[in-house]
Amino acid sequence: MDPTVLLQQVVNGLSIGLVYALMAIGFTLIFGVLNVVNFAHGEVYTVGAFIGLLAITALQPPLWMVLGMVLLGGGIAGYVLERLAFRPFRRFRDEASIKSKAMREATLLSSLAVSIIVREALELKFSGEMQTIAQTYLLQTPIQLGPITITDGNLIIFGLSVASLGALQFVLYRTRIGLAIRAVSNNVLGAQFVGIDTGRAITATFVVGSMLGAIAGIMVGLYQGAIFPQMGFEPGVKAFVAMVMGGLSSIPGAVVCALILGVSESVATQFFSDGWKAIVSYSFLLLTLWFFPSGIFGSKKEKM
Amino acid sequence: MTWSIRSLAAASALLAVTGAALAQDIFVGYQIPLTGTQSQYGEVFRNAATMQLEKFNAAGGVAGRKVQIVYEDSKSDPKEAVNIARKFVDDKRIVAVLGDFASGPSMAAGEVYGKEGMPQLSQTASHPDFLKVSNWQFRNITTQAQEGPFNAKWLRDGGVNTVAVIGLQNDWGLSATGEFTKAFEAAGGKVTTTELFNPGARDFKAILTKVAQAKPEAIYFAMFYEEGALILQQARQLNITAKLYSASPFYAPKLIELAGPAAEGVLLSTTFVADSPLPLVSGFVADYKKRYNSEPNQFAAQAYDAVGILLEAIKRVGPAATRAQIRDSLAATANYPGVTGATTFDKVTREPSKTLAKLQIKNGKFVLAQ
Repeated sequence: MDPTVLLQQVVNGLSIGLVYALMAIGFTLIFGVLNVVNFAHGEVYTVGAFIGLLAITALQPPLWMVLGMVLLGGGIAGYVLERLAFRPFRRFRDEASIKSKAMREATLLSSLAVSIIVREALELKFSGEMQTIAQTYLLQTPIQLGPITITDGNLIIFGLSVASLGALQFVLYRTRIGLAIRAVSNNVLGAQFVGIDTGRAITATFVVGSMLGAIAGIMVGLYQGAIFPQMGFEPGVKAFVAMVMGGLSSIPGAVVCALILGVSESVATQFFSDGWKAIVSYSFLLLTLWFFPSGIFGSKKEKM
Repeated sequence: MTWSIRSLAAASALLAVTGAALAQDIFVGYQIPLTGTQSQYGEVFRNAATMQLEKFNAAGGVAGRKVQIVYEDSKSDPKEAVNIARKFVDDKRIVAVLGDFASGPSMAAGEVYGKEGMPQLSQTASHPDFLKVSNWQFRNITTQAQEGPFNAKWLRDGGVNTVAVIGLQNDWGLSATGEFTKAFEAAGGKVTTTELFNPGARDFKAILTKVAQAKPEAIYFAMFYEEGALILQQARQLNITAKLYSASPFYAPKLIELAGPAAEGVLLSTTFVADSPLPLVSGFVADYKKRYNSEPNQFAAQAYDAVGILLEAIKRVGPAATRAQIRDSLAATANYPGVTGATTFDKVTREPSKTLAKLQIKNGKFVLAQ
């Protein structure tokens, strides 16, 4: 086999993996704090892409302003999402209800409901079609590196993933609200006892997580040239797989696993038919769960 | 005196009855999705059908009698389609049916029409098995069994010896890749790689990298325009220089809107060309734009011709046409001059054959390829 082809496939895979990773960061953050799956994260991603698209079509601002608007819109979406789908199920603050499985499962379904409503509403308004994006905003300029080809979108998404991770680490470890988030993540009851406003910390988690999700949506939309109401589903599933492989609450773990997924899918295409590549990624998931039941990067001790 | 009054009354009643029968309209059913997620297609079909019907009635209808279309909303749901089929079959006025849109509902309704003996003409159902439901089904859409060999010959005539085929993994995509490959190899060409992808795929770089490795002279895309736009953009990002070919589903202004400069130079075949110089087509396009303030797409053209083919078939039989007579008349359709090219139904398989046009995308427009 031609080594440059293999190298190109690895690069292709890294660029897919980064897309999954960008999505997985916000997803894992919310899971890590609340221990519930936020099924609406895929729709936050879609909403982010549509906010960016509307901004581009209406105002033609420079890219950094588009990103600013998407960040703002994503934050608002996260706040509203938490208010609608999560807060109503956290009325009680005693230990039994905080640890209750029923409470967690209720939010699983309520977030799923929000995701369906948002997706269908977008479809009603914009139809299911891929939206037309002004060509100048697409992040698709090819860059030749010897025998390997990448695009400016790959570099920007890579930079953005690093920046997102860095910003997140900063918020979590250098700010008061980050401290509160980590405390809630560690033990909700304990956090309440020491006087932390847990409701506020949870809201902040959603706002930050959804900002990251929304930014991922617009960047991937511009990179792939595909913005449409169903766009959040597939990366959402892959981000979920990456999160589980990475050990549920480890953000760096989820990122590494997202990259492994992307590369394995891409390299698999070289050897099998493309239709079979999903088998490779899901086999990875199964193997991980068999040999590392708490994920590759998961801590041994059970949280919460 | 009483006798003569009575006979007069009887005579006039008889006259009234025959008069009413003479003036009675002929009814045709049309089932399409008018609500739901595919309503945008149903809307286009109804627009085009209205135009064709008005033109036909204005030109004298069937021996002076007007034809009316009864619309039913199938929501593109097979269950709903079957209910509508029962309703149409029970309605004694209705002599033939148009629709449905997608192959699934069309075939579900087709079971009823086949059993009850109602001619059915779909403008779009392209599933290979649609015409095998019964002898009562017809369609006005070319299948890949015609387009594939046509395109294969086009590539071979253009001196292309090696081609890679990338196709969508569903019924349609498999028949599109299969028919093309068969014809291309029969004509002495070599297919270097065949790659199929699952519906919903968005990243094609792995496939493209693999396919480009064998350095084919051309790549043939058997897919629709949304995936098409993405794969064209990614091929450009990977600096793939092979000639790019595709089939009629690429004929959509949206493809160029989405793919932009990446669509330049792509070659494709299609039956309907909106800026064709033929007066028949330009008249249709201008009239459609004037009425509905939008450009007619391939779907509008197919429905326009489907309605035309059915109306002509009824006209050939005459105003007292029965369902069985219309079926036979439809089966005899030959060289119907439509906006999607001259259409002939095959004597044995009832498959339509149409004249295909070769197009190329140049400067953001579909133009006739030399």
